[in-house]
Amino acid sequence: MTVATNANPNLLVGSRRRQRREDAIRGVFLTAGLSSMLISVAIVFSLLGESVSFLNNIELSSLWTSGWFPRQGKFDLSTLFVGSLIVTGVAMIIAAPLGLGAAVFLAEYAPTRVRKILKPILEILAGIPSIVLGFFAFRWIAPNVVQNLSDQATLFSLMSAGIGVGILVTPLVASVSEDALRAVPRTLREASYGVGARKVTTTLRVVFPAAISGIVASLILATSRAIGETMVVALAAGGSGGTQFTSNPFDEGQTITAAMAALAAGTDAVAGGGGTGAGAAFQSLFFLGLLLFLITLLLNFVADRVVRRLREAY
Amino acid sequence: MSAIVTPSARPLSLTGKRIDWAGLGFLAAILLCLLACFAFLATLLAQVFTDGWGTLADRGSDFLTADLSNSPSRAGVAQAIKGSLLLAGFVAIAAFPLGIATAVYLEEYARDTRFSRLVRLNIRNLAGVPSVVYGLLGLSVFVKLLGTDMADGKGLTGGRSLLSGGLTLSVLVLPIVIITASESIRAVPSILREGAFGLGATQWEVVRTVVLPNAFAGILTGAVLSLSRALGETAPLILTGAFLGTFFRTPNQSFADTLRGDYTALPMVIFNWAGEAKSSFKLELAPAAIIVLLAITLLCNAAAVLLRARYERDA
Amino acid sequence: MLIRTQRVTRVAALGLTAAMIFAACGGDDEPDDNGGDTPSGLTGSVVVSGSSTVEPITSLVAELFAEDNPDVDIRVDGPGTGDGFQLFCQGETDISDASRPIKDEEATNCADTGIEFVELKVAIDGLSVVTSLNNDAVDCLSFADLYALVGPESEDFETWSDANDLGAEVGGSGDYPDAPLDITAPGAESGTYDSFIEIALGDIAEARLEAGAITEDQVETVRPDYSSQSNDNQIVSGIAGSDASLGWVGYAFASENADQVRSLEVDGGDGCVAADPDTIASGDYPLARDLYIYVSKASIAEKPEVAAFVDFYLTEDGSTSVADSGYVQLNDEAWQATVDAWTAAKG
Repeated sequence: MTVATNANPNLLVGSRRRQRREDAIRGVFLTAGLSSMLISVAIVFSLLGESVSFLNNIELSSLWTSGWFPRQGKFDLSTLFVGSLIVTGVAMIIAAPLGLGAAVFLAEYAPTRVRKILKPILEILAGIPSIVLGFFAFRWIAPNVVQNLSDQATLFSLMSAGIGVGILVTPLVASVSEDALRAVPRTLREASYGVGARKVTTTLRVVFPAAISGIVASLILATSRAIGETMVVALAAGGSGGTQFTSNPFDEGQTITAAMAALAAGTDAVAGGGGTGAGAAFQSLFFLGLLLFLITLLLNFVADRVVRRLREAY
Repeated sequence: MSAIVTPSARPLSLTGKRIDWAGLGFLAAILLCLLACFAFLATLLAQVFTDGWGTLADRGSDFLTADLSNSPSRAGVAQAIKGSLLLAGFVAIAAFPLGIATAVYLEEYARDTRFSRLVRLNIRNLAGVPSVVYGLLGLSVFVKLLGTDMADGKGLTGGRSLLSGGLTLSVLVLPIVIITASESIRAVPSILREGAFGLGATQWEVVRTVVLPNAFAGILTGAVLSLSRALGETAPLILTGAFLGTFFRTPNQSFADTLRGDYTALPMVIFNWAGEAKSSFKLELAPAAIIVLLAITLLCNAAAVLLRARYERDA
Repeated sequence: MLIRTQRVTRVAALGLTAAMIFAACGGDDEPDDNGGDTPSGLTGSVVVSGSSTVEPITSLVAELFAEDNPDVDIRVDGPGTGDGFQLFCQGETDISDASRPIKDEEATNCADTGIEFVELKVAIDGLSVVTSLNNDAVDCLSFADLYALVGPESEDFETWSDANDLGAEVGGSGDYPDAPLDITAPGAESGTYDSFIEIALGDIAEARLEAGAITEDQVETVRPDYSSQSNDNQIVSGIAGSDASLGWVGYAFASENADQVRSLEVDGGDGCVAADPDTIASGDYPLARDLYIYVSKASIAEKPEVAAFVDFYLTEDGSTSVADSGYVQLNDEAWQATVDAWTAAKG
């Protein structure tokens, strides 16, 4: 399609006025295109500035003490990283099988009519705001699921937050994987049937490998989304005033994102008056944001590369 | 592809007399996955409705028209609904034109240069940036940078204001608008463009008369879906200063003052109430507000689906 | 077909734009529901922030005030006493709710930015020491017991009985049940956290510092390994969720959730006393603290609506709001002192 658009139309333009208008409009669109670059630049700069002054304001050793208590000057990063890891891990244990299963059913097994009914329902699930899942996590998941799995779990735990996030990202896995599965040409399936393979064999050994790039990408994207999910964890994981290091999913805890939400609900109002506890706590918000930004950026980049490297051209 | 001819495959599928247990088991497993998704959705809706319906039924329109209050029997979501609608309107005005224009640039104007590839990569990455990070962007750019120095000390945006929140949400949904619009534009058959160019149309004339009309359904759907995403976002609003307290009122403001003034939104009110210790806030009012939020977002999505269906039939 | 498509586009685009403009402007006509009726004639704004403990009182007062003064913008929120003072000293709020007196360093901050203020005591709140409804092994704790269980030296105690030795050493009973010790309490942003440390643990911590058992940094802290919550719902759930839980919250808060948590008696040196409005008001209950509002003098001078709001706070309606919010009203003498202080400040 670019072939047509790039056939320099200016040569064919009649009047000069028309050409000027054409140039002006082109300029407008170019500006719009540039604006997205501006956003990235703004994100990086706004995060970098405060992060640097945060690192300057604190003792670096407070980044690995015991627990995350920003108002007491304890900024132990491992607490938050492990918290994020647990929540994301639990989420993916839920979302990967459910999402892939749903995708395979919708793409390979469901008749068109059934698919037309089921797909929108899945889209409704995808459209549920995360704050609602946060409520659901402490209201239903915690007492009915998590507390049945472990006696010592309270209403708030990394586990119930993780399950909530898992439900949240399942539709993402399902929809991206389904697109990947449906993009596999019919001829591959027909060839497989032609040599006598069963449907399940065809699905698992022909279609699935052919769509692997999209499937892996869907999982990476979901992981990135799970790491960045804030409100479910803020409502369901507890520990909003700061938290001890824990690697037990049934404990309460915080993730990088939930720590940011907890800080923001109190201190973002406080314009980082340097040096004091609240000031450094405020700046730690930006430092966490920077870490989060880098992590998700890396994951998205990897997803991008995976799609490119593993994609098979048909 | 040697694996395809498994020993068991031949007799089973050709005779069809024996039952393919492995196949059935697999089908059952993936069906179970899908059903589990639906079961979660059903449980969630059932829980929210059993918790929240009572309040809506008892209070009726009073819940929708009452202001925030510390007393559960008087508290309502009027300010939150107003704030959410204003935010959504703001996103529609700020993000849609910019997003669609960017998509047109990328698909119709930009050549395949290193720069345009960078822009594309950048947009894909922006789409994956967590919303809470956009909140930080909003905090430092809209609330602090543009919100602190003017005559009244509140700057252009008014600091922690509706305007700051709206701008932040606009930036947040921009990549989504761009990506969906790009996809719709790419789906317009190039033969239509070539026909128009052949008739002597300029690039802009082609965009205006051929590309945009034909991509309209897809662009609209993406736009409305991003609107419902914006309606449900909470984290960026916490950071850009949506109101988190129990009482606030802003009577008789001019529209400009409303934009530069305090605000709250439905997800914020839900967040706040869900964190209250009073069980009536947590277990009755929060779910009632969730029902209102779900109703608005679902209406939004339904509108997208209907508009698309309607448009596709007409065209 | 192309032309037709285009027309449809335009119509739809027009419709969409109209819908957006409607959405954007929908709020415009809403504030008019007061019909321009201005009984008091006051306009302007009153911005209150600070303690989440005092927030319910102020918010109720604000609601009542708003009925008579429909044209005044009011906002009341409660990020915590410390955060409230930060805002107050930056001149961002007119009034700061506080569940403890202003600290010296905070007062210095205010002085640096030129914010002068008047401190008004408005109510008394008890700090309730709470546990689970299922915990019947404990009825009363002394300050020394509390120090042994939650003080800075109790780090890593996993059961109540782990504190036996320390409890005996600092003068407590030293005979605690052998049950897991799960502590849930407010975080450091909260005035309730500060008050508890100061009233219950302060003296013992000073003595322990003298004795060289703890360091300077630890004096004004509790053990770090407790479940620290800024979200009220999470505090109540944390206390209710474990059979041998321990924590502290405001009295109003504990009595409001008496169906989920049990309040313990506290011994401040004169025997065990249960918290109720009488013992708190009389001072018999040892864990009581005063609640304040701090009003900016600049706001009093420049914003008549702020002065009117505080006037209203100190009327009958204000004092009823204290009781309605679950707090203990000041006795007549103390209330009069507050009114006098206000009258003097107003000039």
